[in-house]
Amino acid sequence: MNGSGHRRARRWEVIAGAALLLFALGWTATIWLTVPAGYGVGPRAFPLWLGVALAVLSALLLARGLLGSDEDESEEEDGGPAATTPRRLGMVLAVCGIISAYGLLMPRLGFVLATMVTVAATLALVLGERRPLVVGGMALGLALGAWFAFGRILGAYMPHGSWLPDF
Amino acid sequence: MDLFFSAAQVALAPASLIAIVLGTLLGVIFGAIPGLTFTVAMALVVPVSFTLDTIPAIGLLLGTYIGGMTGGSVSAILVGIPGTPSAAATVLDGHPLARKGKASLALGTAVVASAFGGILSLVIMVVSVDLVAQLAIRFGPAETFALLIFGLSTICGLAQRSLIKGLIAGVLGVLVTTIGIDDMEGVERMTFGTVVMQQGVNLLVAMIALFAVPHVIDAFLRHHAEERAAPVVDAARAELPGIGDLLRHFWLMLRCAFLGTGIGAIPGAGGPIAGFLAYAHARRWSRDPARFGKGEMAGVVAPETANNAVTGGAMIPLLSLGIPGDPATAILLSGLLIHGLIPGPMLFVQNPGEIYEIYVAIVVAYVAVVAIQLLGIRFFVRLLRVPAHLLAMGILVMCAYGAFSVRNSVFDVISVAVLGGLSYGIARAGIPLPPVILGLVLGPAIEREFRTAMIMSDGDLSILVATIPCVLFLGLAAMIFGARMFGAARATLFTLRTEEKTRASATPSE
Repeated sequence: MNGSGHRRARRWEVIAGAALLLFALGWTATIWLTVPAGYGVGPRAFPLWLGVALAVLSALLLARGLLGSDEDESEEEDGGPAATTPRRLGMVLAVCGIISAYGLLMPRLGFVLATMVTVAATLALVLGERRPLVVGGMALGLALGAWFAFGRILGAYMPHGSWLPDF
Repeated sequence: MDLFFSAAQVALAPASLIAIVLGTLLGVIFGAIPGLTFTVAMALVVPVSFTLDTIPAIGLLLGTYIGGMTGGSVSAILVGIPGTPSAAATVLDGHPLARKGKASLALGTAVVASAFGGILSLVIMVVSVDLVAQLAIRFGPAETFALLIFGLSTICGLAQRSLIKGLIAGVLGVLVTTIGIDDMEGVERMTFGTVVMQQGVNLLVAMIALFAVPHVIDAFLRHHAEERAAPVVDAARAELPGIGDLLRHFWLMLRCAFLGTGIGAIPGAGGPIAGFLAYAHARRWSRDPARFGKGEMAGVVAPETANNAVTGGAMIPLLSLGIPGDPATAILLSGLLIHGLIPGPMLFVQNPGEIYEIYVAIVVAYVAVVAIQLLGIRFFVRLLRVPAHLLAMGILVMCAYGAFSVRNSVFDVISVAVLGGLSYGIARAGIPLPPVILGLVLGPAIEREFRTAMIMSDGDLSILVATIPCVLFLGLAAMIFGARMFGAARATLFTLRTEEKTRASATPSE
């Protein structure tokens, strides 16, 4: 790994170590304050020990990132797609938003319609697909294909939709 | 024998057969497409298996596991990119064979070697799994806790380059399982007074989030970065090798099948290690090692036999002790639990019929793999041309619906979105995801067994080292952690010395 790769890996270690340390401290404090100790090894013991263990490990990660030892364990490039951090963050938020919106639409529009809307919107707005045949074909094909495979062949429950009860 | 025949009747019923074949097809497709691992397929299939009877559901999962393990060779040979990490060693000679115009024969040989390895490992599993279970049936909570800690030491194998990050991942996994109502005393933990959090984070929801959502994000980013897939060999079909070819490689296949089964039985080792070890073994024992890497058929036979033999090996600790060795068997374990089959020694006492049905389902899955690969290879070649972002769109739909179908709850879909985003973040920080799954699967049992042992001993910790199995398992776990820490420390010292030498040699010229 080259110098910039090392620096990037250390920066990620510092960010991840700090975030996890904060989370672990918050977790430990919340468990201590909200869960009763109980008798012997009670319900508080395990989550508390785990919180402390996570705090110690996160502190070690943070220290390693800050001190910057180039040991063999430091992270190499992960072979993931090339993208700037803002674009990557934007895509994470977009995908999380799409899944959440799809989940909210499913019981309201029904599986088929919610799937068609989600697939068409994602292809057109997030992936920049401009060919109507691809957008329409994917939306219709995925919605009906999944409905047939899950609902008809496997007999799974498919939401019907409270807004369109007959669909 | 009666048990076997009645098991065959259930496993060969139309519903079971269709489920196994569908699972195998899905596994081969996900295994064949680089980036779409069969672990993703299994995570997506588990929620769907809810609606099925026990054996069709387990058959669907087993088919996906076995099909995926075999399917990885398709893109390894045709494109030079392993469809799954287990097929990485197959690329070394598989792709050169394709470039020599022997793609069809390489594909056919890979299928036969895979089926041979898989079925032989099943035979070894059937013989050994019952013996292990008979030993384990005497275990109390302290022994089971020690065994689970040994299972958790698998993290060392799954931690990739950094032990600290692997341990963080494992702790995160166990930590998440403590959310919800405590099983033993009914106390709410980290629920913040909400009803939806009382059941805790669902294992299946977590699996979909961990494996499938990061894949979708990466595929969409690749589409924007306009990264193109490698060209695919055009006119490919699967051509069965002749009897002479098979006999020539028979002893190699036999050795690699035993090697793969042994590696599979070690938690945390898995297909990629088995594949490379088998490849190295084949090369070492070859009369002409120089031919390896240039298109030697033994270089396809060895890793494909071994990585499929891992499936049988991995089932030994899974069925007899309830310890999953890798993410795929962890998902399989969750599927078994959903259908009321609790892996461990009691499984053989309480559900002997289902055990035999699982054995038959594995054989059927291997027959289906051979048939699907021989008949459907042209279809897979076409599938390799489908743009990755369009496939990812399909996975996104399955992610959301799969999460919804777990409890018909929108909360689970939103949980997948949030946990998926967080998983992507921790993966970007170099924290491996497989140990998280291991923690999620083993976490509740570790806490339960430890607390039960403490109640039994009235808080005396010496119960954890009171019997030989306890000492053995905890000792083994300590050895594994110790060896990994020693290795990391030695590597750090070596790097520091090298850096010092580099600085010292650079100083005079300055």
